[in-house]
Amino acid sequence: MIYVSVRNHWNKDYAPAPFPKTQEERLAAIEKYQVMPSQYKPYEDDGSGCGDYPNLPIVSGDARDPFYPWDHPETKRNFGELIHAEEEMYAEHRYDISARLRVPIRLQVLQTVGVMLGLFTIYCCLENVKFFHSLAEKQYPKPGEKHYTFELE
Amino acid sequence: MGTAFSNLPENGFNRYFHPEVTPGPSVKPTFDPADGFQGKRKERVMIATEEEMRSAKLPLKDRDYCAHKLIQYRTCYRDKFPFVVRCGHEKHDYLNCQYDDFVLRMKEYERERRLLVKTHRTNVM
Repeated sequence: MIYVSVRNHWNKDYAPAPFPKTQEERLAAIEKYQVMPSQYKPYEDDGSGCGDYPNLPIVSGDARDPFYPWDHPETKRNFGELIHAEEEMYAEHRYDISARLRVPIRLQVLQTVGVMLGLFTIYCCLENVKFFHSLAEKQYPKPGEKHYTFELE
Repeated sequence: MGTAFSNLPENGFNRYFHPEVTPGPSVKPTFDPADGFQGKRKERVMIATEEEMRSAKLPLKDRDYCAHKLIQYRTCYRDKFPFVVRCGHEKHDYLNCQYDDFVLRMKEYERERRLLVKTHRTNVM
């Protein structure tokens, strides 16, 4: 097994069986994946390659209870628990599909656009009002040009 | 200069709403330098010569009325390297000269502004 996982990364047992067409195949899949027969629903046979793997409800890693005594608390999973076919999309460090946002997404967009528009308005209003130091031109000695201090002789 | 937060925007707004009495940034004085003075104003003296500045390879922007002090500072820096802390006096001298130059520019600006206000008032009345 170490040889397989280190040298080949894969073996044929990792692959799901073909899409179940008969009742026997369906029962075999239910037996293999240990799911409730009423809840077993494979992916559609549209060439995605999921075969008889069950189409599980998506629960993001963030949405799972952190206080439940998981067998693997770092991934919030129990031993032998079926994982979603696209688990790597919804792990704790990935997209949280079941997030309940404190500020709804529409309001967030509105906030962003509002701030940007506000800044743009200020920019437009002050376009012709350039701030500057009250300084005269810097004086460089040039032939034919005289500069004076503010002291009297 | 510490009041930059109030006077920089103020300059901008004054320039926008009253352009006739507010000189722009880095204005070249338009009035006769002797206007409004009782006696004769002292002329500014350039101490460093063109040859000195050229041989010291001063950038053009540094060839102002403080150039001789900058040359002194650079010379000291070169002589005392790497113990350049000993050139503190020369550096201080040069920076003070630049500060005075800055103040003089502010005064020139303010003079220009006041003369503009004066001429504007007489023109209107």
